[in-house]
Amino acid sequence: MKKNKSLLWLFAMILVVSAFLAACGGDDGDTGSKDSKKEDGTTEDKAADGEPQKGGTLVYGIDAPPEGLFSTAFYGIQTDFDVISLFDESLINYNENLEPEPNVASWTTEDNKVFNFKFEEGVKWHNGEELTVNDWVFAFETLADPDYDGPRYTNVQTIEGAEAYRNGEADTISGVEVINDYEVKITFDEARVNNLTNLWSYPLPESVLGDVPVAEMSASEWVRSTPIGIGPFKVDKIVPGESVEFSRFDEYWNGDVNLDKIVLRVIDNSSVVGALQNGDIDMISLQPVSGPEVEPLENVEIVTYPGLSYYYVGFKLGKFDNATQTITEELPKYQSKELRQAMMYAINRQEWVDAFFFGYANVVNKPVPTSHWNAADDAEADLNTYEYDPEKAKEMLDAAGYVDINDDGFREDPNGDEFVVKFSHYATGNPTFESRAQAITQYWEEVGIKSELEMVEVNLYYDMIEKDDPSIETFFGGWGTGTDPDPSGLWKADQLWNYPRYNNPEADQLLDDALNIDIVGTDQQKRADLYIEWQKIVNEEVPMLYIAELEEIVAMNERVGGTEFDVSGSNSPAEWFVTE
Amino acid sequence: MLKYTIRRLLGMIPMLILISIVVFTLAKLMPGDSLSGEIDPLNTNPEYIAEMREKLGYNEPLPVQYFDWITGFLQGDFGKSTRFKVPVADVIIEKIPNTLFLGVMSLLITYILAFLMGMYSGRKPYTIGDNAIAGVNYIMLAIPSFVAAVFAIYFFSFHLNWFPFGGSVDILVEEGTLDYWFSRLHHVLLPALVLGAMSTASYTQFLRNDIIENSRKDFVRTARAKGTPLKKIYNVHILRNSIIPLVTFLGFDFAALIGGAIITETIFTYPGIGQLFLDSVTSRDYPTLMALTMLLSFLTLAGNLIADILYGIVDPRIRLD
Amino acid sequence: MASTTTISQQKKPERSLSPWQIARKKFLRNKLAMASSIFILLVTIMSLSAPFVANFLSPLPDVTKVNIGSMNIQPNGEHLLGTDKSGRDVLTRLFYGGRISLLVGFSATLIVVTLGTLVGSIAGFFGGMVDNILMRFTDFVLNFPFLVFVIVLNTILYGIVDGLWVLILVIGVLSWGGVARLVRSKVLAEKENEYILAALSIGCSPWKVIRKHLLPNVMSTIIVQATLIFASMIVAEAALSYLGFGVPQATPSWGNMLSSANEPDVLQGKPWIWMPPAFIITLTILSINFIGEGLKDALNPKSLR
Repeated sequence: MKKNKSLLWLFAMILVVSAFLAACGGDDGDTGSKDSKKEDGTTEDKAADGEPQKGGTLVYGIDAPPEGLFSTAFYGIQTDFDVISLFDESLINYNENLEPEPNVASWTTEDNKVFNFKFEEGVKWHNGEELTVNDWVFAFETLADPDYDGPRYTNVQTIEGAEAYRNGEADTISGVEVINDYEVKITFDEARVNNLTNLWSYPLPESVLGDVPVAEMSASEWVRSTPIGIGPFKVDKIVPGESVEFSRFDEYWNGDVNLDKIVLRVIDNSSVVGALQNGDIDMISLQPVSGPEVEPLENVEIVTYPGLSYYYVGFKLGKFDNATQTITEELPKYQSKELRQAMMYAINRQEWVDAFFFGYANVVNKPVPTSHWNAADDAEADLNTYEYDPEKAKEMLDAAGYVDINDDGFREDPNGDEFVVKFSHYATGNPTFESRAQAITQYWEEVGIKSELEMVEVNLYYDMIEKDDPSIETFFGGWGTGTDPDPSGLWKADQLWNYPRYNNPEADQLLDDALNIDIVGTDQQKRADLYIEWQKIVNEEVPMLYIAELEEIVAMNERVGGTEFDVSGSNSPAEWFVTE
Repeated sequence: MLKYTIRRLLGMIPMLILISIVVFTLAKLMPGDSLSGEIDPLNTNPEYIAEMREKLGYNEPLPVQYFDWITGFLQGDFGKSTRFKVPVADVIIEKIPNTLFLGVMSLLITYILAFLMGMYSGRKPYTIGDNAIAGVNYIMLAIPSFVAAVFAIYFFSFHLNWFPFGGSVDILVEEGTLDYWFSRLHHVLLPALVLGAMSTASYTQFLRNDIIENSRKDFVRTARAKGTPLKKIYNVHILRNSIIPLVTFLGFDFAALIGGAIITETIFTYPGIGQLFLDSVTSRDYPTLMALTMLLSFLTLAGNLIADILYGIVDPRIRLD
Repeated sequence: MASTTTISQQKKPERSLSPWQIARKKFLRNKLAMASSIFILLVTIMSLSAPFVANFLSPLPDVTKVNIGSMNIQPNGEHLLGTDKSGRDVLTRLFYGGRISLLVGFSATLIVVTLGTLVGSIAGFFGGMVDNILMRFTDFVLNFPFLVFVIVLNTILYGIVDGLWVLILVIGVLSWGGVARLVRSKVLAEKENEYILAALSIGCSPWKVIRKHLLPNVMSTIIVQATLIFASMIVAEAALSYLGFGVPQATPSWGNMLSSANEPDVLQGKPWIWMPPAFIITLTILSINFIGEGLKDALNPKSLR
């Protein structure tokens, strides 16, 4: 763990815990990407194409109230980030292949250890101050401060000297060297292929927060009610938990801004369809379930783009000791690979996905979202696609010794003992969760595996999984990966978040090699090959049943134009416009 | 009267202490904490969670935690919301005006409607109008508020598009202008109506029956005999007598509104105390949850007290002990 | 009016009717109450018979099974009320839901009435210190904001005890205060009567007096109260389930069925899923209220209608 601590953050974990969050994918950290070029099929805005128009107000909906932490350094939930991305932007962007691209900052590096960053000149904060590298350094120091109460220390941890700064042994972070107002040199503690992707890429306005003690920042006015950023819109007014009003920032550094205003409204899920129909909101991220309702609306258009999250059914294969960072015990019940594969064949994943995600999700056969550059192509890599085949599942179970010997209609295990698969799913107020979980157990029962469903209160659920609670045997889960495609933090035997406790040294070695700069250098293809090798292994061994990856869905009124979406999120709101 | 009030107020203290213990115990018994359900731990690592648990004092012995909490509470420090990361008091104060507005509007609507309908029914009992009102009342009494809320949104917001289906105000209007208040009124009307429906019905029936009863009393006969116009008899003599008992319900309303607000605010996504409470339960925001439970218990207590005192004032025959 | 009734009764040679018989007669003559009773009876029968008639009601009699192939079907000849989002027949679920909703209502009412009567009669009869302590305790319970505590308690117990009984227990245990107060005041009034004094003076035990003499006399009040509580318990179950803090989602209950209206696509787009439970809840409550009114009328010796 100690060694790989720094890698953990790479994996943005999305516990898709509530009805509200079902639509949140993994588009963390880069929604503000401004020059995405690729369009994903339907992305073209048919209604309002043509010349961008100036002026007008766009009403932007979100389906859960923000918590009100409007700072990239402090926010906790995706909703808050959605708000932030309307008024702030990252120094570094990601393109449709999730590769970093310069935005405000551009960089050079020789060895992936020392980076020289250069800022655009004349970038203005909303309070009129000019953005300099000092604001970025200030952000590093805030995140590395011992009083910092947000969750993002990991994003500066790899900078040389951050640890010492945090422990109070140094007054500055030694790896950060300011050359002038627009140039800074950052040295990491070691060379890694993904140092840049991990680095914190948002400045904090020192002119505003400089005098605020770090411990009080998250509760400060600036974070709560008068946040400023460097984006194309500035915050005018916040009605907590309900709405936010933005207006055009005339000194925006990167070109013209079309809209006069953006009004963000919190809208309950149950009202989304009606609000879109009545034109009360112009744009909103949809949950899959709303899709079929919105599709027939004539004034609304739906845009989808690939997400970065996937759903799976995990098996508990062992127990993990967090103190020693090792898997200490092997649990026998699901060790049979044939059993796991048969359970995969038994599930009609396509039918399930269509029924519960309404065509806004795709069946996956590997734990890497398809949009990542290191994702294996099913056909090319010769992955098993586990097409629904209950007969095959039955044969495999028979062969593996899972046979019904007492004629109760269900199979016993190879020792002739009763065999009941216990399946756990998190429970919230959303009734769909129960039915989709039950559908899975029904598939298993159809091939003769007796199954039992337990809905676990969501606040307990991941805690129980994390602690290898004995009542968790097979479990439903979801992961959102960040822009960094490396799966180490979720899969290696020494990782807490390797929930199935999958232990395969050969697979772990492949993951290590793919990050080892001495082996792969800067050759992305070489890395990809190693990851594909790894995906073949986990595709064969199925320590979890890969179910589906989600698509992100955005609904827009036909009067909205100038929007583009790709896997990295939407284009800059500066380019959005509305026609009257 | 004063003595009684003081005694009752003092009697509230042990009650509040007991309630605080119950609230604290319950909160501690709740499964999970704000971190176990961390909704979106993007870039969260397990160490951060362990560290935060330590910082939040979840590892202290229970009596110590209780003592810390209650001393802070008495000094007006309700703790820091684990969800919003600001003092709980700020979170609550932010929402109180909305709930207050909703409550007041609901009471207002209740009293006005009940007054009009009750007066009419009482003056013309057993007519078609009276029966119609009685019919409406029965339905209002029977239809659970959440069913009413769902129907109301379905018809008035979606089909007829008369009312907004959520929120407390339209952000586009300038704060403080007439439009602003009109917009707030527009937003609050439907939830307030739903929230007040049940009491409206019972008040109407009460007023009706009381007016009928009073109209048979001697003082009415006397007034009539003296030639006082019928209108004046009803509007002045009878009404004054019938309205007084209604006042005593105010306290109970207070308590009833609390439960009602939880449901109505949630369904109408009206950002108030009730919605905050449910959110704090689901997100395990214990400081907020405990402070709100205390607050709501206190209000219920106060409501009941007010009801009792008003009762005593209105009807001095009631023995106050 | 009063005299005519007496006369007509005197004409009959039989002995005069007992108070209960009078009450029954009065109740039977109350059309609204009778219609309501028939409705409640129908709902009860339909709920109890759910497992037996399910096969005739729909091609998908198993309400616990998810049927991916037949989701969100609009009402038609096959599915009279359509199917819900899990492909389960709404009508069949309505039947099964009735079982749960009525069971919760009934059991909770039983708890409330038992506890309330017990506490109320003891406090009222013995008075003094006992009364004081019990009534302080009752105040304590009454002063809890009901919904707030039910939600918190239910969250705690969820998963520890079988979900349904948690709910029954919690709402039952938190709502008896009102009944206790009412019974106490009735007992207090009744206690002053000479016949109680007489019974006590000939050496009847207090328990016997409470059971044999006091309770039968406050029974009518309790019955009326119980009816109204029955209604409010059904509402409580439905409201809590609607908010997601009630009966576990897997168990069909009217509240759970209605809670699908929370989903983005259901409220507006699939009204056939939430309207039937909404209507049946409302009608049930309405009927129970009418029955309560009828009973109040019937059991009130002063009302002669």
